[in-house]
Amino acid sequence: MRLLYAEDEMGLSMAVTEVLKMEGFEVTAVMDGLQADEILQKEHFDMVILDIMMPGMQGTEVAENMRRRADYTPVLLLTAKAETEDRIDGLNKGADDYLAKPFAMGELVARVNAMIRRNREYQKTILNVSNVTLNLESNELSAISGSLILSAREAKLLAMFLEKEVVSYSIDDIVTQVFQGDVGTDEITLYVAYLNNKLTQIHGKIRLIEEDGKIHLKKEESV
Amino acid sequence: MEEREYYGKYYEPLQELKGEVLQWLDDIVAAIAGEQGEVPVEHIRSRIKSPEGLQEKLKRKGLQENVEEAMCQISDIIGFRLVTHFVGDVYRIVQYIKEDGRYTVIKEKDYISSPKQNGYRSYHVILECPFCGTENERLRVEIQIRTIAMDCWASLEHEMRYKKHIENAALIEKELKRCAGEMASTDLSMQTLRDMIRKE
Repeated sequence: MRLLYAEDEMGLSMAVTEVLKMEGFEVTAVMDGLQADEILQKEHFDMVILDIMMPGMQGTEVAENMRRRADYTPVLLLTAKAETEDRIDGLNKGADDYLAKPFAMGELVARVNAMIRRNREYQKTILNVSNVTLNLESNELSAISGSLILSAREAKLLAMFLEKEVVSYSIDDIVTQVFQGDVGTDEITLYVAYLNNKLTQIHGKIRLIEEDGKIHLKKEESV
Repeated sequence: MEEREYYGKYYEPLQELKGEVLQWLDDIVAAIAGEQGEVPVEHIRSRIKSPEGLQEKLKRKGLQENVEEAMCQISDIIGFRLVTHFVGDVYRIVQYIKEDGRYTVIKEKDYISSPKQNGYRSYHVILECPFCGTENERLRVEIQIRTIAMDCWASLEHEMRYKKHIENAALIEKELKRCAGEMASTDLSMQTLRDMIRKE
């Protein structure tokens, strides 16, 4: 499980990171909101923990940007006691839960686990972008007229881009984070070619574009 | 009923037209082969619709059940099937048929991009050919073009459809549809690989 943790208090950041690592999470710690915002646009995480008060960009704003990009990764906000307004604001802007500082490490871990579990249970099985639908149970890819059954890996790759339409991922990150190194970069390129030919065949109005070692989704109104 | 007897005066002209269009399709395939250095078709078949099949079709369409009506209304009395290795070859053949212009293409249906509900995939082209014997001196013929995988699927589906009683019919239909989706997907993966091999 990959976890992003944004916290500007160095001491707390180190302590929490250590605890989460001991719980088996792979933690990426950043020190401010801008870094969090930037890395979220490039990499895939299973869960995000954001301190509200941070230099550069507040945690609430980071969460708001995620939702605007159609990134629905669970977000836990960390708030100081006095920040009631901020908590309400954060939840309204798309965070899933909050935890007031100071908190017990055990509670943090329990909440993180609960949110990941809940997210997995409610994870969408039908993804839809433009005229294209992917059913993650049957791996069926369909557009208005036609449908095809994808291989498990093709479906997994396409799902990433259907879940977060406006995000681009580097091929290296896809290999290490999504396929845990089970496939090589040239295989990802091949899957992209497979998917684009299949999308073309069923007149799907999206394509995966590979550019400078990154992949992003493009909607094509003309196809 | 015997074909010759059923089709009567149309029988000889039908045979003649079948041979003529088949020769034309052979020439098209040869032209593509000359261009890309390899024959794009695994096999070509032609047939004249059986009297039973034709009567059944007239009945299903609510038409008069006689051969004169059939010659005017039914477009697959003469049918051709071209079976290719790759999906790309299907589209190339269609393109050649349309560009050749010897016969008028009056209808085409891309059941590869838009498969039928049961999963059937194929590209159908209906041509209008000069034909002595009918009132307007025209006859429609149907050409089906598809890959080996689609052909294999269609033969099994055909077998199931004409079997009187099947246990688990619903399950088999569902599985056939899934197989059609997987085969179509693999067809396209194979085409992608072929394009890559040829590019290098």
